[in-house]
Amino acid sequence: MTSSRIEALKKQKQMEIRKKNNQMHYAVLGTTITFMIYFMLINYHLRLSSFWIIGILLGITMQRSRFCFASSFRDPIMVGSTSLLKAVLLAFIISTIGFFIIQYKTIVLNPDYLITEIPGQLSPVGIHTAIGAVLFGVGMVVAGGCASGTLIRIGEGYMMQLVVLIGFIIGSTLGAKHFVFWDKTLISKAPIIYFPKYLGFFPSLILQLILLCSLYYIADWYDKKNNITITM
Amino acid sequence: MVEYKLDCLYEACPIPLLKALKQLEKMKIGDILIMHTDHNCSIVNVVEWTKKQGHYIDYVEIVEGEWEIYIEKAR
Repeated sequence: MTSSRIEALKKQKQMEIRKKNNQMHYAVLGTTITFMIYFMLINYHLRLSSFWIIGILLGITMQRSRFCFASSFRDPIMVGSTSLLKAVLLAFIISTIGFFIIQYKTIVLNPDYLITEIPGQLSPVGIHTAIGAVLFGVGMVVAGGCASGTLIRIGEGYMMQLVVLIGFIIGSTLGAKHFVFWDKTLISKAPIIYFPKYLGFFPSLILQLILLCSLYYIADWYDKKNNITITM
Repeated sequence: MVEYKLDCLYEACPIPLLKALKQLEKMKIGDILIMHTDHNCSIVNVVEWTKKQGHYIDYVEIVEGEWEIYIEKAR
């Protein structure tokens, strides 16, 4: 939505703008190098080649969609907009179904499975989860981006995030150094809770989907409630 | 019909939006706010928020990676 005065300002500014440099040749060069590395890796190391291409596709998706975990959890509280939170919930719904298929395959083959044999990241849950979540959450809001968001912005050339990167490296190193302490005092004592073990495979899938869908519904309602102008 | 300028260069993610939000509160209907930012997330979250509030908005890329956002207070 725009007005005539904004339109005029924009026109005036566009006249002043110098012609932008054509960056096409950089794009062509970058794409060629990417594919060269990809084909080299296919011959050399098949596993690494899939990591390479998945990583690049993920990066492109996140950069183009301006996906940001920090703002997805901050914006609902700060400005009452939940469009990114809904995207995160959708991602959870999709990965729930995906992981269900992957894990179900393993379990059908071996009915008396061990939790450690199940594909995916199944980690102990306890008070350390909450401590870590608070630390990470505070950090990402102050720094203006989570790990992926920070890296994307550095790639874009947003210099401020380089400061964040330094803190990010210091923090990760300290975390790795202190991990033994946390592991001894909290993590090793906490249980791994795997719902399918208690509820059965299909009930836990359905329960999780219902939970995520209702969260999505609440997020959608919250967004609309904060929408002051209804007729746009 | 006053024009306000807001310099948001090198500001971290929510700051441009918060600055705009505060400035808009002080302005009268019909005033225009010109934001200068180099943060591409502002394009998304400032635009989305302003539209939700019912103000007029548009933006233009002035050099690579720098934008001017125009907001006219409408209510």
